[in-house]
Amino acid sequence: MLDAFISGFWQVLAWPAFGYLLIGIVIGFWVGLLPGIGGLATLALMLPFSYTIKTPIEAFCFLLGMLAVTGTTGDLTSILFGIPGESSSAALILDGYPMSKKGEAGRALGAAIMSSLLGATIGALSLAVSIPIMRPLVLLFGSPELFIITIMGITFIGTLAGTSLIKGLLAGGVGLMLAAIGVDPQTGSLRYTFGSLYLWDGLDVTPVVVGMFAIPEIIDLAVRGTSISQAPKEKLKGVMEGVKDTFRHFWLVVRCSLIGVYFGVLPVLGANVAQWIAYGHAARSLKDKSRAGKGAVEGVLGPGAANNSTRGGDLIPTIAFGIPGSASMALLLGALLIVGLQPGPEMLKSRLDVTFAMVWILIISNIIVAGISFLILNHLAALTFIRGSLLIPFLLVLVFIGSFTANNSIYDLMVTLIFGTLGYCMLLYGWPRPPLVLGLILGKIGENYLWISTAAYGARWLLFPSVLILIVLTVSIVAYPTIKERRGRAKYDRPEDAV
Amino acid sequence: MPKRLSNRAMRLVSPALIPVLFFIIATAAPLFAQNDFYKGKTITIIVGTKAGDAYDLYPRLMAEYLPKYLPGSPNVIIQNMPGAASMIAANNAYNVAKPDGLTIGAIYPALYFDQLSKKPEARFDWSKFQFIGSPVVSNHLLYMRADAPYKSVEDIKKAATPPKCGSNGTSSTGYWLPKLLEEVIGTKFDIVVGYQSGGDVDLAVERGEMQCRAFTITAWFAREPFITWRKTGFANVLFQTGSKRDPRIKDAPTIYELMDKYKATPTSRQLTTVVLASGDFGRPLVFGPKVPQDRVKLLRDAFDKIVKDPAYLADAEKRKLDIDPIEGLKLQKLSKEVVAATPEVVERMKKLLGSD
Repeated sequence: MLDAFISGFWQVLAWPAFGYLLIGIVIGFWVGLLPGIGGLATLALMLPFSYTIKTPIEAFCFLLGMLAVTGTTGDLTSILFGIPGESSSAALILDGYPMSKKGEAGRALGAAIMSSLLGATIGALSLAVSIPIMRPLVLLFGSPELFIITIMGITFIGTLAGTSLIKGLLAGGVGLMLAAIGVDPQTGSLRYTFGSLYLWDGLDVTPVVVGMFAIPEIIDLAVRGTSISQAPKEKLKGVMEGVKDTFRHFWLVVRCSLIGVYFGVLPVLGANVAQWIAYGHAARSLKDKSRAGKGAVEGVLGPGAANNSTRGGDLIPTIAFGIPGSASMALLLGALLIVGLQPGPEMLKSRLDVTFAMVWILIISNIIVAGISFLILNHLAALTFIRGSLLIPFLLVLVFIGSFTANNSIYDLMVTLIFGTLGYCMLLYGWPRPPLVLGLILGKIGENYLWISTAAYGARWLLFPSVLILIVLTVSIVAYPTIKERRGRAKYDRPEDAV
Repeated sequence: MPKRLSNRAMRLVSPALIPVLFFIIATAAPLFAQNDFYKGKTITIIVGTKAGDAYDLYPRLMAEYLPKYLPGSPNVIIQNMPGAASMIAANNAYNVAKPDGLTIGAIYPALYFDQLSKKPEARFDWSKFQFIGSPVVSNHLLYMRADAPYKSVEDIKKAATPPKCGSNGTSSTGYWLPKLLEEVIGTKFDIVVGYQSGGDVDLAVERGEMQCRAFTITAWFAREPFITWRKTGFANVLFQTGSKRDPRIKDAPTIYELMDKYKATPTSRQLTTVVLASGDFGRPLVFGPKVPQDRVKLLRDAFDKIVKDPAYLADAEKRKLDIDPIEGLKLQKLSKEVVAATPEVVERMKKLLGSD
C-alpha cells in the first residue's frame, strides 16, 4: 500500500502528467472566479480533450486538477463581490462579503484560501484513510436515513442563531415548495409548470443562488454610491492575518472539512449542501452570536474548508463501487472508462496507485493554487476599493452571463431577476435566505428518498434505530439553541472573546 | 445590366443546356448549403440520463466520431438532461429544440409506452421522431440478489411476499419488465420507483434496500458493479427477453420460454411483442419532427458509416460497449408499427403501466 502511495505521488509529478495538472489548474482557476460557469459544466466541456491523453493518471491530473481548483477560486468571487463564483461557494458571501465591506477583503481571502487548502488536504487524506473501509462506509446510509438527513440539513440552517426560528423554518419550507416545481420524478407528472417547458426541469440552483445573493448586494452597492469597502484604505488588513485566522480556528476548520467529506460520501448530496451545513456549524460555534453575518472570519473558514473537502468524499463511492457520488464524479467516471480503467473495486487492488494519485492531485493542485493566489490576493482585494459606479456594470454582466450558462435560456435571466427581487425583499425585511436555497437544493432529493423509503418499507422505516437517532438529533437542533438562549439570558452576555 | 449579362450568357451557353444548368444549380445549391450548414456549428446531443449511465456512454462515443463523418466537421457536445426516464429529454428534442438539425436526442427506447397509454406528459408522437439509428439492439434481463429467497421465476410466483425491484421511472426497463412478467404470467413484484439513476438502484441493492432490478444485458456485462457481482455471485439473472438465450447467461430462461411454460394467452403474446420492440429501438438517436430531410439524411449516413468504422468498434470494445447497430430507416418503420397497436393491446399496456 505504501508503495502505491509513493508511486502515485511520483506519477503525478512526472512529465507530462504535471504539465496537464498545470493546464487543468489554469482553466479551473478562471472557471472558479467567473460566477455561474461551474466546475461541472467545464468538466463536461473539457472531457473530449482528455480522450487524447494516454494514461489514466495524466487524464486525471488534467480533469481532477481543474475540478479541485474551481472550489477554491469560486470562494474568492463570493468574498470580493458578493456574487457566488460557484454555486458551492454561495455560503461564503454571508460573512465574507461583509468582511470586504469592512475593508478586510485581504484577510477574508487569506482565510478562504488557507482553509480551502486545509479542507482539500483533509478531504484527500480521508479518501486515503478510508480506502480499507470504503464499502461499508457508503452502504451505511439507506434511503430512510438520507431522507432524515435532508430534513436535518434544512432544520439546521433554518434555526441558525441570529435569525428568528419561525422565519428560518418558513423560508426553508418555501424552498421545499419551490423544489416541487417541475416533472415529478416518480410518475412523470407536471407540477407548477404553468405550461412552460422551461419549468419542466425545475428551478436550476445557479440562477436562483446568483439572483438571491448577488442582485441585492449590487442594489445595495448602487444605493450606497461608494466602493464595496466602506473602510478607508489604511485599514486594509493583510492576507497573512487570514492565514493566521485559519490556524487560530484550526479545529473548526477540521470539523468543517469532515462535514464536507461526509456530505461528499453521501449520494446526491455534495458541496452545494455541505457548504451551508459547515456555515451553520461555524455560525453556531461563535461565542458572540451577533457577529454571524456581519463579517466573522469563522463564517469564511467553515464553508471554505467544506466545499473543498467534499471532492475527496465524492471520490469514495466512485472508487468503491464504480457508482458516482455526484454529477462531476459521473463525468470523471466516463473519463476513467475512456482511458481504459474500469472504476470500481479494481482501483482498490491492482490500480491502487491511480487511487493514491487522485489523493495527491487534490493536495498538490490546491497547494499550487494557494501559492498563485497569495501572489495576487492583495491586488484582488484592492478591487473592493474601486468606485461602485465603475464596478456595477461589470458585475451585472458577470451575474447574467453566469445565470445564463445554467440552461442557455432567456428564462434563466428571468429567474435571476425574480429571485434577485425576492432576495432583496428578504434582506430588507430580515428573512434569512440560506434556508430557502437549501430547501430548494434538498427538496427534490428529500422527496425521492421519502418516496423510496415508504415504498420499500411502508411506515416501518420511521422506527429504524438509525432513523430514530437522526430524528432525535434533528429535534435537538431546534431545541438546543432555544434552551441555550434561555440559560444564556439568565446569566449575562459573554464578552466578545471569539476572535 | 442584368439583361446584357443574360444575353451574353445566352450566347455562350446553347439554349438546350439551360434547363440542365438550372437543374444542376437547383440541386447542387442545397447540397452546398448543406455541406456548409454544419461547418463551424455545434451539434448538441441531449442525453436523457445522468452522465456515466450506459445510455450516456453510447452517445458520448458517437459524439467523438460524428465530426469525422459529417460534412463540415461540426463540434459535437453532450448535454445531460436527466429525469422522468428521459421523457424530459424526449419532449425537449421534440418540442423545444430548434428544428435546425443541431439538436439530437439520445432517449430511452420505451417512451412510446407513455404515448400509447396517452399520458399527457408524453408530448410527442413516437412515429414522428426522425430516427437516426441505434448503435445497439438491446435485450433485457432481471437480476436478483443471490441471498434473496427467489432463485427462479417459479420461486417468485410461489412466494408470499413479492421481491422489491428498484427503478428510476415508469418507462425505464426497471419498471416495465417486471410489470410485463406480472401481466403475462402473473408473477408479482413490488416495484419501487423514484431512484435518480440506475446506479442509485444498484447501490440500493448492494445495501439490501432493494433486491432486484431489470435493465439491459449490455450494461450487465459492460461495467461495475456488475463485473464484481458476477465474479462473487452476488446476484443472479432470473430471466431475459431475447428470442433465444444469450450464450453468456444461458441458465436464465427467456420470457418466451416462460410464456410457453405458464401458457400465456395470444393477447399476452401480442402485448409482449409490442413491449419488447423497445429492445429493438436500443439506444436511439433521434431528431424532432421538423428537422429538414436533407440534414436527417446526412446524420443517418454518418451514423451508418460510424458503426462500421473499425476505430469506432475498437473504442467501443475498449469501453466494453456492445455494438449491434440498427439503422434509422428500420426504426422509423418499427415506430409506425408499435404506434399502431390494437386497442386491446393498448388497454392491457395501460394496465401494465398503471396509468388507468
